[in-house]
Amino acid sequence: MQSKDINEDIRWAKINEDVLRSMENPRMGYWLAVGVCLLLLALAIIAEIYQYRVGMGVGKLNWPHMWDLYIATFIFWIGMSHSGTLLSAILHITQADWRKPIYRFAEAMTTFTLMTAGLFPVIHLGRLWNMYWVLPYFSDRGIWPNFRSPLVWDAFAIFTYLTSSALFLYIGSIPDLAICRDSATGWRKKLYTILSLGWRGDDRQWRNFRKTYLIMACFLIPLAVSVHSIVSSDFAMSIMPGWHVTTFPPYFVAGALYSGCAAIITLFILLRYFFRFEDYMTLPILDKTCKLTFAIAMVWTYLNLIEFASVWYGHDAVAKELLIAKFTGPYSPYFWAMLILGSVLPFVMAFEKMRTNIPVMFVVSILLNVGMWLERWMIVAPTLSMAYHPFAFDVMWANWVQWFIVLGSFGWFGLLFLIFVKVIPSVSMYEVKEMIFHRRHIANKEIAAVMHRRATDPKPTAQPASGQAGGQGSPGTPGLEGA
Amino acid sequence: MRKGRILALFSNFDEAFAAVSDIRHYKVPGVSVDDVTVISPIEHPEIEEVLGERPCHVPKFTLVGALFGMTFGFLFLTSAQATFLVQPQGGKPVVPLPTNFVLVYEMLILFGVLFTLVGFILGARLFRRRKSLYSEKVTLDQVGIELEVEEKYIEPLKELFNEHQALEIREEVIK
Amino acid sequence: MSLKNLFTDWSRYRKGIEEGGFHDYEHMWGMAVDLNKCIGCNACAVACYAENNLAVVGEQKFYDGQAMHWMRIERYWDEPDLGEDRVQEFNHHGASFIPFMCQNCNAATCEPVCPVAATYHTPDGLNAQVYNRCIGSRYCSNNCPYRLRFFNFFSYYESSWPEPLHMQLNPDLTVRDKGVMEKCTFCVQRIRAAKDKARRENRKVRDGEFLPACAQTCPTGAIVFGDLLTLHTPGGGVGETEVANLWRAHQVELGKTKQTKQNPELRGYRVFEKLNTEPCVMYLERVREV
Repeated sequence: MQSKDINEDIRWAKINEDVLRSMENPRMGYWLAVGVCLLLLALAIIAEIYQYRVGMGVGKLNWPHMWDLYIATFIFWIGMSHSGTLLSAILHITQADWRKPIYRFAEAMTTFTLMTAGLFPVIHLGRLWNMYWVLPYFSDRGIWPNFRSPLVWDAFAIFTYLTSSALFLYIGSIPDLAICRDSATGWRKKLYTILSLGWRGDDRQWRNFRKTYLIMACFLIPLAVSVHSIVSSDFAMSIMPGWHVTTFPPYFVAGALYSGCAAIITLFILLRYFFRFEDYMTLPILDKTCKLTFAIAMVWTYLNLIEFASVWYGHDAVAKELLIAKFTGPYSPYFWAMLILGSVLPFVMAFEKMRTNIPVMFVVSILLNVGMWLERWMIVAPTLSMAYHPFAFDVMWANWVQWFIVLGSFGWFGLLFLIFVKVIPSVSMYEVKEMIFHRRHIANKEIAAVMHRRATDPKPTAQPASGQAGGQGSPGTPGLEGA
Repeated sequence: MRKGRILALFSNFDEAFAAVSDIRHYKVPGVSVDDVTVISPIEHPEIEEVLGERPCHVPKFTLVGALFGMTFGFLFLTSAQATFLVQPQGGKPVVPLPTNFVLVYEMLILFGVLFTLVGFILGARLFRRRKSLYSEKVTLDQVGIELEVEEKYIEPLKELFNEHQALEIREEVIK
Repeated sequence: MSLKNLFTDWSRYRKGIEEGGFHDYEHMWGMAVDLNKCIGCNACAVACYAENNLAVVGEQKFYDGQAMHWMRIERYWDEPDLGEDRVQEFNHHGASFIPFMCQNCNAATCEPVCPVAATYHTPDGLNAQVYNRCIGSRYCSNNCPYRLRFFNFFSYYESSWPEPLHMQLNPDLTVRDKGVMEKCTFCVQRIRAAKDKARRENRKVRDGEFLPACAQTCPTGAIVFGDLLTLHTPGGGVGETEVANLWRAHQVELGKTKQTKQNPELRGYRVFEKLNTEPCVMYLERVREV
């Protein structure tokens, strides 16, 4: 295995070439993927039209199973959106530069999973044509949404998160869009001229850009945590056994990061394979991502155990009975599958051989997400089937309408992502350049020494005479062009 | 006096910064380092050491936005809850503070982000036409230095840039 | 204007149920159901269907769990509290049953979770459901520990009342379309009619002046309905209503979350009292020979 995160000798022009090449001339496989996604989406649209015209009952939703797959999948997608923020924002603030080649598609995933998740509360509404009533708009009836409801918190949180993460993605890619503009022709030229907002990379722009990006990253971390806490409030703020759990907010956040990291690994491998990004999405970076995923998986496992333990020792008869029913009742196969996929399977990632084995990691990352989807379902369904009132105990299995819509959401996400990889560079070119520039200078002792000395010097404004600032390196200094 | 604009392209930061350093030392009398604009494909981590501290007002926008989001958010929510269609629910107060804190938190972030965006657009002077001297090579791998000076300084600047192995020099006169 | 409201009435807006709540209640409609008297005949459920335009969903949808039974007789064949050895004996005596309808909780868990405020607490102490405002998020039903809220999964009206059955629909209230949550209202249309009449005659509503359909129909008088606050007797005096009397006699009161009384004569309890939902329906325990 190569030991460096990235080869420092890549020429900058090659980075531009490699990444821009991935955005052009879609091959057969691309159109095939688009076709599959469109098919899934079409099935979902058919199911949704049927459900819209006839009523929510067509998906076998019933009393007491008022929610089922829709809400479970909603949480699943929201959860997946968190990893983009984690990788991008947290690793940006902590200056872990190995994030640079892979954060762009992770951020895009954040935005698109949110756009997918946002569909589900709408789909699951009984009267979805009135969904805008959830928004706080001025109306002459003088009536407002109920701000006490966690569903309204959801609306606020998701709107804020979608706005912020889309802006984070967009602002972060402005310099790359300028690169696209400068090398594109035809309709792409026009598109990128508009999208790049007149970016030309002067020092004023970079200065404001760096500050803005840092501030956005600082906002996004607490925002991401709050968003999934609020989604968990849909359950934790209720009175139902199995939902009314104090540890739900951190449990949800951990689960969110977990499934998101697994999804990043999946997309990492797909992009690396299809776009030949071996130079950028390298095995050491995959290795690091897997380590991160493993750590989060263990956090999630711990929080799971804590939840069981606190229910067990809490001696709330109803909650305890529900917990036992989860392990032994009608949903138990899925519950055990979730525990095995979520807590046992990640131990594969404890071995370096496995972490850098691409086919293995591809399968594992997908299975992890299956486990995480089961987790969300196992939060929603058992409580509905077995809460306080024994008369309302019931088990319900979803039929094709619900499943088509759930599968269609994957098609929708896939479609958005496929459009994304052809419109916005899926590897951040300027940040990879920064990464290489930085590493080259750290690697070169002479330059590192100069930089070090300069850092301790007084600021040039305070002492104009310190003209060494330019860093007139010795002739042998590697410049931008490298070797 | 007519003004002119000059753009020089260098193959790396070192040469470009050496040129800037010369300008800082008044190698070209009358031209100050404050007129210099460095255009680069990435931001050099220590560009401030060369150009000197230049202001950046984005954080101020952020602060204003966050404070606005907090106050506006709280007043908006509570006054919406206290309209004539008061709806007491579940034995909870009509103006429930924990709820409002949750939502104010979101609005703080939302307005903080939006104001930051405005600050960025204003601060970075986006949404303007690129100047005619723009070279597409600066998004690839070259570093540019641009100055807007009186016409008489263009010639000495050109000499200076050539001294530092400028790859290409473009100039224009502003009418 | 609302800002002005906010500053003048701040302390009132900040009052939770522990401090008496926002409302100065005009009424507090409540019930007392004597399970000793209940014979499980289901007349109340039928009356409810007739009075409240409840859709008849048909056999298949009933099995699918998509029925509308605001008022129902629940049967239980098992009483684990008695212990394994007594179950057979218990079953020999027949099922235990309980008529169950919306408990109109004063601290209802269904209310605060509605995203559009389609359900709220009225000054009559009722848990109101505004059909027009409902968008069908179904959160209220999920958060009701009694599972007493029912959702229109289909446009039931299309097939529930084939001609000429539509002629029997109650004109005093609506027929609900798909996508709307509904539940027992204590026959709010009758409450409104009685209140309107009383206002026209410039008096207060009298006890027993009207009854919800279930109480009216109950052949054994097991369901007692009335105002838990005060009584305005037919003669014009003020005293205690029948239901309030029952509550007091069995030492059940609002604001209490646990029954600690020992006397077996005092049979009153409220369902899931410990959840602190403050239901307005009191049940009188059934005395069985075991």
